[in-house]
Amino acid sequence: MSNIKYCSFPVTPKAALAELLSRKNEALAVAGGTLAAKTLPETTVNFVELKNLPLNYIKMRGPDLVIGAMATFDDIDNSKLVGSWAGGVISTAAARCSSQLIRNMATIGGNIARPHSFNIFPAVLLGLDAKVKILCKTGVKTCAFSDIYLADFKFRPGRDCLILEVVIPGKTRNWTCRFEKFAKTEASWEAYLTLFMAAEINSGSMNEIRVAVGALSPKPFRARGAEKVLAGAELSAGVIDAAVVELERDMDVVRASEFKKEVSASLFRRFLEVL
Amino acid sequence: MLNAIFKLKCTVNGVKIERDLDSSRTLLEFIRVDLGLKGTKEGCGEGECGSCLVLVDGKAVNSCLMMAVQLQGRELTTIEGLKGREGGLHPLQKTFMEEGAVQCGFCIPGAIIAAEALLRENPRATSEDIKRGLTGNFCRCTGYEKILSAVEKSKSCR
Repeated sequence: MSNIKYCSFPVTPKAALAELLSRKNEALAVAGGTLAAKTLPETTVNFVELKNLPLNYIKMRGPDLVIGAMATFDDIDNSKLVGSWAGGVISTAAARCSSQLIRNMATIGGNIARPHSFNIFPAVLLGLDAKVKILCKTGVKTCAFSDIYLADFKFRPGRDCLILEVVIPGKTRNWTCRFEKFAKTEASWEAYLTLFMAAEINSGSMNEIRVAVGALSPKPFRARGAEKVLAGAELSAGVIDAAVVELERDMDVVRASEFKKEVSASLFRRFLEVL
Repeated sequence: MLNAIFKLKCTVNGVKIERDLDSSRTLLEFIRVDLGLKGTKEGCGEGECGSCLVLVDGKAVNSCLMMAVQLQGRELTTIEGLKGREGGLHPLQKTFMEEGAVQCGFCIPGAIIAAEALLRENPRATSEDIKRGLTGNFCRCTGYEKILSAVEKSKSCR
């Protein structure tokens, strides 16, 4: 049984952060709210609803794609701008999140702030070298997504800082990307495996390569061994074979089960063969 | 410790209301217990089955996943709020009956709300769109075929 005493509806990020900081571990920031009712901590005294924050936007800023933290999966799925970026991989990933009902509520900010191994966006953002703009006590900071999500939470979004937006760097705009979610059904929230792959080929050789694996461990990881084989290489059957072997080795680090390694290897091979 | 009482102002099925609300209530509890609107059903209670669907600002959401306080200033439509043009049955309700898409009926309010949200946004939804729009709704009786054909048929009756 929760003991909510205060409900606030701040209209600026600054006011929202002030609410969070005023009752540090007793305040709960709620963006889409898909997990709020399900996992409301008993210690929650202050319910801070973020829906009124002006952070629901998707736009270009210079060469970069900027997605406001309150943009829902549905907004991202239906955005023409996002759909035109990196072959539409971010939209595809958004569309693979659970059912339409969840996509109507869940936000990209919440997907980062409430870490879970099944979350869709972390692997994608990790692979696209995304940055995250946050508001904390000392002001606005822009950090690499990996520093926010993979580090041991120096900043705790929704507790002592607030995510304002996600920035996808312009260099990724024309990358060839693919996102795969392997799950029981299309609407399953729980994924057995998520795989994000991105490449850019320049003059016949691999200029950029990213492979990010999600749902196997609490946080997604980059398959560095496979990336190393491919970086700067000219694609050939031998190189693809070697990269696939390395991907399986990369997955051994988290003791991935055999079938997950086989599925990943097939999906990765398929991606490389059509490049 | 008692929960705080929250003053909720929102619109329910087209009527503006103001209620004192236990701030720990989920939206589903608010609808069924406080408002007495029993058409919205509780199935899994964790956003998987779609029985508790309602429209909030026109979007279908699982009411079991929302806290009632999140309704502040917003517009709620439950299955009781769906009506046909002359106040009778809504076209989806009619086609569900005509197609025999209702067996035990427990999941049907949720399925109708999901279909309504889909067709409001995309009146020309293809059968693939309809299948995708209803992926969050479980039905253990009908095998889905009749539900899908009822939604398909209702497109021409809107």
